[in-house]
Amino acid sequence: MSKIINISDLKKSYGSKEVLRGVNFSCESGQIVGLLGPNGCGKTTLIKILTGLIKDHSGMVRIDNEEPGVYTKSIIAYLPEKSYLPDWMRPCDALEYFSDFYKDFDRNKAEKMVDKFGLDMKQRLKTMSKGQQEKLRLALVLCRRAKLYILDEPLGGVDPAARSHILELIMENHEEDSTVLISTHLISDVEYIFDRVLMINNGQVVIDAHVDEIKDKGKTVEEVFKEVFSYAW
Amino acid sequence: MLGKLLKHEFKHSARYVTAIYACTAAVLLVMLFALLVKITWLSVAASMILYFAGILVVVMTLVSVIKNFYDTLYTNQGYLSFTLPVKCSSLLVSKVIVSFIWIILSFAALALIYFVIFLNARAQTDGKMGDIVEMLRESGILDMLPSGAMIAKFIVLVVVLALLTILTFVGFVYFSVTLANTRPLQKHPKIFGFLIFFGSYAVSNSIGAKLTYSLPLSFSVTNEGLKLAFSSMENSGSVFSFGIGGTVFMALVALAMLFATGWIMEHKVNIK
Repeated sequence: MSKIINISDLKKSYGSKEVLRGVNFSCESGQIVGLLGPNGCGKTTLIKILTGLIKDHSGMVRIDNEEPGVYTKSIIAYLPEKSYLPDWMRPCDALEYFSDFYKDFDRNKAEKMVDKFGLDMKQRLKTMSKGQQEKLRLALVLCRRAKLYILDEPLGGVDPAARSHILELIMENHEEDSTVLISTHLISDVEYIFDRVLMINNGQVVIDAHVDEIKDKGKTVEEVFKEVFSYAW
Repeated sequence: MLGKLLKHEFKHSARYVTAIYACTAAVLLVMLFALLVKITWLSVAASMILYFAGILVVVMTLVSVIKNFYDTLYTNQGYLSFTLPVKCSSLLVSKVIVSFIWIILSFAALALIYFVIFLNARAQTDGKMGDIVEMLRESGILDMLPSGAMIAKFIVLVVVLALLTILTFVGFVYFSVTLANTRPLQKHPKIFGFLIFFGSYAVSNSIGAKLTYSLPLSFSVTNEGLKLAFSSMENSGSVFSFGIGGTVFMALVALAMLFATGWIMEHKVNIK
């Protein structure tokens, strides 16, 4: 299996505050990886570096053997935690936007998914509920045939009933050979889909393990998380 | 990709200005209707509204250029813009081109509106304006004006200088907004944006004003026509001498600022 992410001695500071302090890890293609850690541990900074939103860091970062740039942006399907679509857009505008810029965007699939979600193609985002907007953003990301999916808190604003449905969608729709990196704090809801987990604390990877290894020890990912971050509970 | 960026940039920015253009066009139609059916008071009222609408078109366009740049790059929409598989320089170039076109359109609309107001005034006065022109001709004042060819050259010069001024405005605005969205300043991006814009504009303008007078680069109106002269305004000896050193300097500063903007976007911007 080839390495889709390769990070070595990654450091990032905001002024005098060191947010990432020598992060090392690599990911092989075809895995679903959980990026876990308490608030402020550096998860979002790490994701921003992977997606090319932050450039002023030190250390080595390679996505599919390339530095973050135009190519890596073309193979990463990124779902940020924040709502990033302008509120004047309608689903049809968003679909047009994505099909114009991303060669791997499957417009037919997106149209079907939007229809399945019960969204009106001509309804403006500002008149949609939060849940409807999240569904649209998820459809846009999952309808790309990307090599790497990075989902930052995809279950954050979703009610518990909808969470399992979203996870099913992620499982069903991501490309088979692709890697999915999911940042979340809702571990119990999502841990069953992980192949591997990375736990970050104080800007460093403190646990990098396959879920099978954790299970072999008779534990769940959430239990390990609680052990590592016991101070937070 | 630049073509697609331009397409979506136009689509996005058009929302800000189409309403004011539509309103202005509606008032224009009302005025023409009033003129046709000879309702004088309505025609005069529409003229007055158009006078202010013309200014509003330009002001709204300038505001929308700033707002569109800020919104699409440095609010949550930045997550969409900065993760597109395009270079930051392409993003910037598309925004510069679209802003440039909108601003030119707004000034063209302003000119058209004032021309229509003039025609309306002329129609309302039943040719009395023609009498005024005739009077000026008889008094010999019109003979003192330069020839048509020279006026055409002068208009070209004014248009070129206006385009450079628009470029300057865009360069200063984009640089200020971008610098204000780097980490040390982004707690108060609007305040810092204003301070950087007015500070840098004031300093550059005062240097530009000095260069306008002292730099040996000017256009002079002579008996032979409009000529580029390598003498300063101070030393030209001609009453009709226009120093262009300041405008050229400002345009060069703006270009440098656009390059700096591209570099900051590529390396230093932090989307909150």
